Amino acid sequence: MEQVGENKLTMLATKLKERKAPKMDMAPMIDIVFLLLIFFMVSTTFAPMPGIRVQLPPPGKPSPDKPKGLIVRVANPEAAQREGTMILNDEIVDFNQMFSQFINAPEEVKNMLIIQSERQVMHQQIIKLMDIAKQAGIDKIGFAVVARE
Amino acid sequence: MALQLKRKASEQDTELQMAPMIDCVFLLLIFFMVSAVMRVPPPFGFPTLPESSTKHEFPRKKFNIFISPDGRLAVDDEEFLTLDELDVFLSAHENQISTLIIKADKRAEHGIVIDVMERAKRRFSKPEGQEIALAVSEDD
Repeated sequence: MEQVGENKLTMLATKLKERKAPKMDMAPMIDIVFLLLIFFMVSTTFAPMPGIRVQLPPPGKPSPDKPKGLIVRVANPEAAQREGTMILNDEIVDFNQMFSQFINAPEEVKNMLIIQSERQVMHQQIIKLMDIAKQAGIDKIGFAVVARE
Repeated sequence: MALQLKRKASEQDTELQMAPMIDCVFLLLIFFMVSAVMRVPPPFGFPTLPESSTKHEFPRKKFNIFISPDGRLAVDDEEFLTLDELDVFLSAHENQISTLIIKADKRAEHGIVIDVMERAKRRFSKPEGQEIALAVSEDD
């Protein structure tokens, strides 16, 4: 007798519970959130971007007096060529000789490299030149430009 | 008897507690959404970056200036036809750019790269000078 009564009570309790908590179906929302999470995880790149740091001088007129440094002139590449001719101290120098030329340069001009390049020289050649200069310990690089108002 | 009843009750709600997991997932989702920097290609496609053995590392940011081999300019997916348009853009976004990233194709003309740097120098009024990152190829 007693047992039956208790069973009835628990059944009633569970029924009440069911009525009290109308459950939301969470599954589709979780599916979508997971999908978004995976998308953002995959599309995020934490790898840094490699580049060459260039610190521009503050705005203003370039100094009129001639800065001291190694001057490399780069000519426009000839029709079929990829690289323009480079001239250092009135001599034609190629990339293989450039490093030793920089290393052996006199101390007073070694702190700065001035690149006088023509417009059509490829970006790659200038980057390579800057790369060699950095390896040779020259940390200041200047680009010669034509003053224009 | 009481023991039996208890077991029955616990068998009935063997539901997993979802709430903490959902909290965690939402937190992760928000973190990745905020930290994500989208790779936006310029209208002429990603340039082939030049190679260099000395390189710095820069964090990836929005507002990359792309320069194509034939001298076309773009900031992210927006193309600029003249340097003056770029000028206007740079002045408008000056506060949002700390290091200006220039992604110039290795076959791009040096003159255009210099033009862009010249504009950046004039446009940004930082007393110590604007910092620029000339992007180079990722593989050695």
